[in-house]
Amino acid sequence: MGLTILLLVFGLLVVVGMPVAFAMGIAAASAFWYEGFPMLITFQRATAGVSVFSLLAIPFFVFAGELMLHGGIASRLVKLASALVGHLKGGLAMVNIFSSMLFGGISGSAVADISALGSLLIPVMKERGYRPDFAVNVTVTSSIAGIVIPPSHNMIIFAVAAGGGISVSKLFLAGVIPGILMCVCLAIAAYILSVKHKYPAEPFPGWGEVGRSAADAIPGFITAVIIVGGTLSGVFTVTESGAFGALYALLLTKFYYRSLTWDAFVRAATGAVRTTAMVMILIAFASSFAYLLALYQVPAKLSDLLVSISDNPIIILLMINVILLMLGMIMDMAALILICTPIFLPIAKGLGMDPTQFGIMMLVNLGLGLCTPPVGTCLFVGCAVGKVKIEEALKSIWPFYLAILLALILVTYVPAVSLWLPSLLG
Amino acid sequence: MVGQSSKFLKLQSALDAISRACIIVASVALVILVATFGWLVFGRYVLNATPTWVEQLALLLICYIAFLGAAAGIKEDTHLGVTLFRDMVPTVLQKILIVLIDLTLAAFGAIMLIAGITLMKFGWATLLPMLDIPESFRTLAITSCGGLIFLFAGARGVLRILTFSDWQPSPHELDT
Amino acid sequence: AELRGWNIHVEDYPVSIAMESFMAEVAEKTGGEVTGKIYHNGVLGSQPDAIEQIRLGVIDFGEFSLGPMGQSIPETNVVSLPFIFKSIPQMYKLMDGEVGEAIGKGMIAKGIVPLGWYDAGARSFYNSVRPINAPSDVEGLKVRVMSNDLFVGMVESMNGNATPMAFGEVYQSIKTGVVDGAENNPPSYESTNHFEVAQYYSLTEHLIIPECLCMSLKTWEKMTPEQQAILKEAGQTSANLQRELWQAREAASMDKVQAGGTTVNKIADKAPFQEAMAPVYDQFLAANPDLVSLVNMIRSAD
Ligand code: NA
Ligand code: NA
Repeated sequence: MGLTILLLVFGLLVVVGMPVAFAMGIAAASAFWYEGFPMLITFQRATAGVSVFSLLAIPFFVFAGELMLHGGIASRLVKLASALVGHLKGGLAMVNIFSSMLFGGISGSAVADISALGSLLIPVMKERGYRPDFAVNVTVTSSIAGIVIPPSHNMIIFAVAAGGGISVSKLFLAGVIPGILMCVCLAIAAYILSVKHKYPAEPFPGWGEVGRSAADAIPGFITAVIIVGGTLSGVFTVTESGAFGALYALLLTKFYYRSLTWDAFVRAATGAVRTTAMVMILIAFASSFAYLLALYQVPAKLSDLLVSISDNPIIILLMINVILLMLGMIMDMAALILICTPIFLPIAKGLGMDPTQFGIMMLVNLGLGLCTPPVGTCLFVGCAVGKVKIEEALKSIWPFYLAILLALILVTYVPAVSLWLPSLLG
Repeated sequence: MVGQSSKFLKLQSALDAISRACIIVASVALVILVATFGWLVFGRYVLNATPTWVEQLALLLICYIAFLGAAAGIKEDTHLGVTLFRDMVPTVLQKILIVLIDLTLAAFGAIMLIAGITLMKFGWATLLPMLDIPESFRTLAITSCGGLIFLFAGARGVLRILTFSDWQPSPHELDT
Repeated sequence: AELRGWNIHVEDYPVSIAMESFMAEVAEKTGGEVTGKIYHNGVLGSQPDAIEQIRLGVIDFGEFSLGPMGQSIPETNVVSLPFIFKSIPQMYKLMDGEVGEAIGKGMIAKGIVPLGWYDAGARSFYNSVRPINAPSDVEGLKVRVMSNDLFVGMVESMNGNATPMAFGEVYQSIKTGVVDGAENNPPSYESTNHFEVAQYYSLTEHLIIPECLCMSLKTWEKMTPEQQAILKEAGQTSANLQRELWQAREAASMDKVQAGGTTVNKIADKAPFQEAMAPVYDQFLAANPDLVSLVNMIRSAD
């Protein structure tokens, strides 16, 4: 009965449009009330859920990303990408994808990626004769590679949701190849479409230009090197490396690029606070919610159910992926990581899957959800930035869905895709 | 979008100012957070004396960033929600649902405020390790969040009721 | 009534087994009137949270270290003083006697009823740099400690660099050299795989912090006197079982870390360590004058 109340209240509130974080909080409070617990336990759990040391990396990563965004790094990355891949067939689409790969290595935020790169590239693409829906779809789907390419605050959320014991630096390494793989699959899809629609290639600007734009962009890219490298080498803990990434981004954009005005700094800090708070309040009330899921033993029950349907690992992993994809269509990433990890991770472990690989699989899967209707933050932002109707974009997005699904299948069933690099450098 | 009369506008600008103050306090906390971690690493490597208060202070500051920022997010309407199904029903029903959500949030905020005060009383004799200040300073964050949500959502709900025919439900706008 | 129990350890840990046997004994002796379900693996929250929850009556019983209790119950902090107990058997004797009684009084005042004192062994230093034989060997080492003034003071009084750090970050931090080492009991040193990265385990046995099977006062007051007697009795039985299991587990862990190549050294003379702790005691007693008699009661015991 308590469980019914929890899920019913949550479902009802989500359907009428209550923000998901508060839907979880109110549902948890209702169930606690039904169980005769003191009401304040909801808020004790919420506060405890936020006061977790490893979560401190989130504001740091987000702040570093915002500083790079407002401090002029995005345009430098696009310039470098243009110089390198612009001369291929469908050159600007390749530039778009490659920029996302680079930018994802800094911000780890798909929405920041779309708003930064989309506003730069979509107008130029339209001008050069690309169909608007194509431009938006390339931007949107490639942005989710940034979630998998380190650093990524969603990896921190996964590590916390998994209850500790998962090394963030291993997750960082494990994301590199899947992230590149996603970009390659998308690039192939974009290439085929570009041939079909006869999209142009840009002139090659010459190696001198490649060198100059690389020299200009590399100091910005070093932010990611500091965060990931600092963690791997042991100079810093993950949290400290996040703080140093933010400090470095601050000094670089202020004193080297000289593009960080006081206004831009304030926008970066307040932007980071808004994003952090949005993620953290989800984490806060997800911990009240997860407390009840644990109390009602939902993970164990659901696991028994799945295992009773099939004992074939391939089928069970397929089912998990389908469930995640369906949930991803209607809910956002952070909330789903927090709710689904305690449920599905034990099942995956039982099948002998490495928790790190499971984490990457989950991120790719839920990343796809960010580009799918009815609830797809990335799709919405991309359509807003590109001034394209959502229905319009959806008509031609399927080749890109296929590309990400292919990457997802490889990540799910080929452990080496995610685990080879950590095994090499771990 | 809500209320045109000058009384309403005054209230609106007061609420705006409070929500901006939340964001500013949280931003300052973020900058302090980055600075103390710089000091932590400097202390460990250069002074060979790790400042032992950084970890616990950081855990305190993150609560304020999270809960003050979240309260401002209620005012700015930037929290992620699923408005798809709501957008499918007739406009009047949409408006009623929006008002009900405001009022539900306000009620939840009030409960959060009261529970937060109880938690603060309960935690007064428990000290945060290394900082030696009452645990209540941590729960103050969620307590203020509750009060602010009560204020922001409650005021918006009441304004929306008072001016029910003057506003239109707008599709949920994302913070880009 | 079906009671809810909190436990941070995995199912096959000595504590977990003892808790299950406690619940089984209670269920049997109360004829099924009092039963319970234990949530292992810390799914109901971390230790400080759970201490708050048991005080609020959200969870009915649980097994806690007295270490984190010190933040809200000053009496329990006494056992976090370095070298306060002379040995594990002495700790058993004192905790089952008037010392346990005195600490228990402080706990009951804050809403927690102790039912039995469990063993968490003795904590010793490990690091990746050198074996520790004297306090001067700690000098300059970056040692992770739990966030508590006493433990920070303990390392600093030996001129070490005390570094509070989240437990989950310790393995990677030792491995990569962010810190040089940490301190813990043998089963934790082994099960966290810290022994793979910190090869020197020096048996300083500086902290003997007992653990406690306890019940929320709110739940306790709902029990009849007969049920309370049964709970106390089952608590003591389970403590005896846990201590036995713990000893076996500790021996197994020592075997495993030694097989893994760890250099274990005993401390020939602990007196210099104990003397180095004088500032820690002075500061603690100055801040907690009403605990002087309790501290003296333990220190003067043989
Ligand atoms: Na892109
Ligand atoms: Na979606």
